[in-house]
Amino acid sequence: MTTAESLEHQTRASLYIPSPARVIGVQQMTDLEVLLQLAFDNGRPLDHEPGQFVQVSILGVGECPISVCSSPTRPDHFELCVRRVGEVTTHIHKLEEGDVIGIRGPLGHGFDVAELHGKDILIVAGGLGIAPARSLIQYILDERERFGAFHLLYGSRSPSELLYREDLTLWRQSPDVNFHLTVDRPDEQWRGKSGVVTTLFKELPQLNPTETMVVIIGPPVMFKFVVLEVLARRIPQKSIYCSLERRMKCGVGICGHCQVNNIYVCLEGPVFKYGQLKALREAIE
Amino acid sequence: MLDRIILHSDLMGLVDELAHKRRIIGPVARDVPECDPPVRYFYEEVDHADQLDLSFNYCVYSPKRFLTPPAETLFAFSPDDEGLAGTPDYDPRPTVLVGIHPCDIHAIRLYDRVFDIEYRDEHYFARREATMIIGLDCRVPCTEGVFCKDMGTNGAEEGFDVMLYPLGTDGGNVRYGVMFGTSAGREWLLYSRQSVVPSDDDKRTFEKYRAEKETAFPFVLHTRREDLPELLSRSYDSLLWDATARRCYSCGSCNLSCPTCYCFDISDETDLTPGAGRRTREWDGCQLPDFALVSGDHNFRAKTASRLRHRIYRKAVWIQERSGRVGCVGCARCDRACTAKICSVEIYNQLAEEV
Repeated sequence: MTTAESLEHQTRASLYIPSPARVIGVQQMTDLEVLLQLAFDNGRPLDHEPGQFVQVSILGVGECPISVCSSPTRPDHFELCVRRVGEVTTHIHKLEEGDVIGIRGPLGHGFDVAELHGKDILIVAGGLGIAPARSLIQYILDERERFGAFHLLYGSRSPSELLYREDLTLWRQSPDVNFHLTVDRPDEQWRGKSGVVTTLFKELPQLNPTETMVVIIGPPVMFKFVVLEVLARRIPQKSIYCSLERRMKCGVGICGHCQVNNIYVCLEGPVFKYGQLKALREAIE
Repeated sequence: MLDRIILHSDLMGLVDELAHKRRIIGPVARDVPECDPPVRYFYEEVDHADQLDLSFNYCVYSPKRFLTPPAETLFAFSPDDEGLAGTPDYDPRPTVLVGIHPCDIHAIRLYDRVFDIEYRDEHYFARREATMIIGLDCRVPCTEGVFCKDMGTNGAEEGFDVMLYPLGTDGGNVRYGVMFGTSAGREWLLYSRQSVVPSDDDKRTFEKYRAEKETAFPFVLHTRREDLPELLSRSYDSLLWDATARRCYSCGSCNLSCPTCYCFDISDETDLTPGAGRRTREWDGCQLPDFALVSGDHNFRAKTASRLRHRIYRKAVWIQERSGRVGCVGCARCDRACTAKICSVEIYNQLAEEV
């Protein structure tokens, strides 16, 4: 490398180079989902907002965007729930404690927690949506005195696909959260509720429309049904948050893959106000 | 304002001197027998200025590949890195782009913005900052079907180091009026002493050139550029998208040929040595069917019509909203590149007549 070139490298920071993070724990949650605990070697926290995501790198395979599923109030490490769906995630599933992977981020906009402070909170999560929701759930539980009533509804396709089983037990027993759970397709052992997540709305007490903030995270098909239930309880659109899934590649608002109309989800999202989204025609379809 | 006058032969001499320090990129004539006429022009790297043909009408592709190449390495990695990526791969080769028309200069100005809105992409700027631009103004439209006048891009006041205005000929030698765009451009030209101060005659010729240019370019769109956002805001549900999509092959030729398209994909290449390879980026196109496909096989723009509409909205409205710079420069390269003869001007005009 010439002097000019090395100078060039010192003064230019590439957006695309990941930082190394070490796997400090691996937990197989279901056939498809693994929970990774990660930490940077120098001990620095990820310093994220609940709802933000990171780009996970397996060098030689590629990158994929994954929501952070732990709260910044637990800064000694961060957690990612990864579903095995493609090449990169298949490699992530082979990771063991001590392995090092690349992380870019935190990226995007998460939940504006300052706006949620002092409010009653309703979180509705479907399927893998419980992962990004968990970063906020943990935050609320850790900062409990800053919030009013806290309701959590979680719908899963089947009992075998339930994520965070230890957390579910904890939440069910906790006086700090009014938690309800349902599965679409119960098996013979299932003793809980069955039906889609919207059937859980009948478990909720009267919600105060001016004091309740609602967070909806789930597969695309879920959004409109849940939004309908929420609006029917007279909660204004500005009090509804949604988190969107898109194909993020660069994660920094350039490459175009996650663009919905004129919005780059990786920059302005993945967390949006419903009011922002309903004007975007491709956002919830 | 006209800063200097230089003859073509002197200018080419200066470009040759630059070749010691910079790679020279400019218009080169190529025989393409299946085309009529068979000569087409391409921006290519040359060793000597006499290989350039500044009398070209238009170049088939814009010079964008010299600023953001079709494929480039972002960084390389090796098995010793243990998850730690190696150093970024920048390409700060000194370069000069010669004979860049105003439309393409506007497209480069757009890149200068979009690669530095929220995050600064140093891979782009390493190249950009090492690149000198010698613009060449268009006296008349380069070919039929262009709508640069409509888009306000048939002239450029900035975005170049020097701009050349072909004011006439002097014994077979083109006489260029020169406008400086940067201090680097000014220093380069003045250092050589080949150029002269414009005479009063030159200034009058330049005024006449500009006046004639006003009428030489036709308006092609049936709507004003400023009205495109309003027009499109009423056209989202038009059946024209579906009707046009019937002809579209989703081949992405429009993206490839567009000087303002900059979307890309990121992927890894591996070497035979385990653990060694590089992360690369390649041009991608929003017209390709799987551009908005996410894991779980959900495609947010699965229909050809929705992809077609996305491209037109980006060009006419969204890029401008985001960057403050014009998203379509009216060069009509997409229209010429389209196998199915889908024409953006026709789309705008049909929409204008619908409402």
